Formats: sequence, structure tokens, C-alpha cells
Amino acid sequence: MPIPGENDLTAYLVAEQARFYRLAYSYLRSQEDAMDAVQTAVCRALERRDSLRSTAAMKTWFYRILVNTCLDALRRRDRSVPLSEWEDTGREDPPLPDDSLSRQVDALPEAVSTVIKLRFYEELSLKEISEVTGCNLNTVKSRLYAGLKKLRIAMEGENAS
Amino acid sequence: MKELNEARKTYEDTPIPEALGFRVQEGIRQGRARYRARRSRVIRRWSAAAACFCLVLAGLNLSPTVAQAAAQVPVLGGLFRVLTFVEYDRTEDGIHYDVSAPQVEAEGDLAEKVNAAIQEKLDVHLVKAQQDWDSYRDAFFATGGTEEEWNGREMDVTVDYEIKSQSEDRVSFIVTFAEGWVASYEERYCYNLDLAENRDLTLRDLLGENWVEICNAAIEEQIAAGVDEDGFTYFFPAEEGGFTSVDESTAFYIQEDGTAVVCFPKYAIAAGAAGAPEFPIA
Repeated sequence: MPIPGENDLTAYLVAEQARFYRLAYSYLRSQEDAMDAVQTAVCRALERRDSLRSTAAMKTWFYRILVNTCLDALRRRDRSVPLSEWEDTGREDPPLPDDSLSRQVDALPEAVSTVIKLRFYEELSLKEISEVTGCNLNTVKSRLYAGLKKLRIAMEGENAS
Repeated sequence: MKELNEARKTYEDTPIPEALGFRVQEGIRQGRARYRARRSRVIRRWSAAAACFCLVLAGLNLSPTVAQAAAQVPVLGGLFRVLTFVEYDRTEDGIHYDVSAPQVEAEGDLAEKVNAAIQEKLDVHLVKAQQDWDSYRDAFFATGGTEEEWNGREMDVTVDYEIKSQSEDRVSFIVTFAEGWVASYEERYCYNLDLAENRDLTLRDLLGENWVEICNAAIEEQIAAGVDEDGFTYFFPAEEGGFTSVDESTAFYIQEDGTAVVCFPKYAIAAGAAGAPEFPIA
């Protein structure tokens, strides 16, 4: 398996930047924070590029960096500003309609919503998700099913009302 | 799964900000610089080891040629040397320390004061890094993070220096303290020493009595040049915390050609995307 050079990596990062941003935005719901997260993840990737072993692993390797950067940013935000306050003052981004499924995906626990997003939005395989999240395959499967179950329950609840 | 297709469409319709391309390029630039810095530290360590080895040889042989070669290895001649006084690269309790802090060796008390100031900043920085890391880890588990998810997480603590220029009796260098963690946090301190006169160099020494006007004109011109055709700039307007004037506390370093370069911390006068702005005063 060829070891990717710096140019392979930067070409990939530049070509896929919109995907990275969308994923970051789905966690952070703020343009500025999502761009910060992408920039930080790109910087870390270049800095640590020696830890990338093969071109084939580039995608999961970078998604891991990106997802961790986003989760870290969320946790840091939780520490500084209570989420409710943040939602009230989130000025630059109009909230999604409350009934939308994408809103419900975001409302799932982080570990579960990460699996759903990577599987259905980013079309990663379960094995790839396991590499990105650092969880074993069974954990990924169980989170996926838990997430789907929860989403269906939530939707049925709404239909009934 | 039809509903999920709709959710996916909403997701894919997320508007992409125009500045994203710039931010990605900026990330690439920062990452490359850090990668190079990492490698150069490794090389420097080997050079230092080689220097020690040469000195040992010199001690054994007393060969004038070897002794001379050894004296040239630590790079700097003149009245002083800048040596690394703390140097380690190790991981401890989830923190990866890559520390390479400088020390000036010279006659006079200026070197001593500078060394004490660097040591003090280093101590404060390492304590703060440990506290940040501990409180982050507490928050991670308090908000439902698991051991499995935590596994392998590391914070980078980097202390490094760069010698910007040197002559027989003057040296200009920067010490950088960085915590690479969520967003990268970085503090830089500039040192410009005149070891012959045993004092700090100032912008007045370099630019004369009108140093404030000269600096302000050059900086304002460069800020104005950074505005694009749509009127967009990363620099804040003066009335909203942007640049107003340099003063005695303004940091700068001296380039090899003698040009003073004024430095501002990240966020001080411009949006984070602009990094830590620097202005050569020609």
C-alpha cells in the first residue's frame, strides 16, 4: 500500500473541504466554529501526517481527527456556555424547523448521532465508522440501531399528536 | 429510510461559507510549519549530540582542528551563545511535551534576567497546560465520555524558539509556548538583546525618534493593502478594537537584514483567520 505524500493529503483536504465543513457544522451549528474546527483538523492532519500509513486509510484517518476536533469543541463550549443559552443567542444561523429529522439526528447523544451521520450522510461503512470513532464494530452497530429506533419512536410520537 | 434521505438532503444543503477555502489553506500552512518545526527540533537534537561528541574528542586529543570544529558547532559565535537549556520530547499522562527552551549565555546581568524570565514563563505555561488538561478530562467524563472514547487522546505542549537574527553582539529571537488541543493556543515572546551594552533593543534604537509615526504609517499601509475588492478584510476597524498605534509594549523581532518586524498576537487586531499578524517596517 503506497504511503501518501504531502501533496496527496493536501489535494484530498482541499477537494473534500465542503464535506468536512458540513460535518463540522452539523455538530457546531455555527459557521465560525465549524470553520475553526475544519482549520484546526487540517492543521493537525498536516502536522501529524507521519502517522498516516496508507492512502486507503486517509479518509477514515482524517474523519477521526475532524470528529474528535468537533466533539472537543462542543465539550469546551458546554463548559463555558450552557447549551440553552447558546441556542438562545445563536444569531448567525436560523434554527432548523423543529420537526425536521435532521434536527432530531442532531438531538441524539453525540456518540449515536456521529454514527448516523457518518453512515447515512457521509456513506461510510460500519467498519470505517469503527475506525473513525475508535469503537469496536459491535458498539457501532448497537449505536446505529439505537439511533434508528429512537428516531422512529420520535417520529411516531409526533404523528400521533 | 426515506426520511433519512430527506435529512441527508437538508444536510447537503448546508451553505458553504466563502471563507472556507482560505481557512483550509491557512490550516495547511500552519500544519506544514508545525511539521517542519517538529522535524527541525529532531535535527537540532542530533546536532547538539554531535557537538557534545566533538567536545569529548577535543578533550581527549587536544587537537586544535577538532577543538575549533567543536567551537563552531553551536552555531553562534560572538559575545554570546544561545543554547537549549531544557529539551525533552516525551509523553506523560496524556500530555505530549515537546519542549526546547533557550538560554542566553553571555557576560553581564542582561542574559541572566532574560533566562530567569524565560524560565518563569516556562514554569507558568507547564502548570497551566496541566490544569487545562485535567479540567478538560474531568469535563469529558462528566459529560458522558467513556474510557474507550478517551483512549489515545493527547494534548501537545510545545515550547520552541527561533533565532531571527544575530550579529557579533546582538541577538533577536522568539520563544513560542503552544498548547495544541481544541483550537490551538499560542503565546509568543520576542527578545531583542544588545549584549555589548547589556540592554534590550527598542524600536527607537532601530528607527529613531519618530519610531511611533514610522511604524504606524507602515502598519496602516499594510492593513489597507489587505482589503480585497469587495471591501472585506480580516482586520478590525480601529474603533472596534483594531489597530490604533504601537507603543513601548509592542512586540517585534529583527530580521537578518536588520528590518524590524512588528508582531501582534492572534485576535488582537484581526479575526482569528488572519493568524498572528506581522508587519515588516521597511
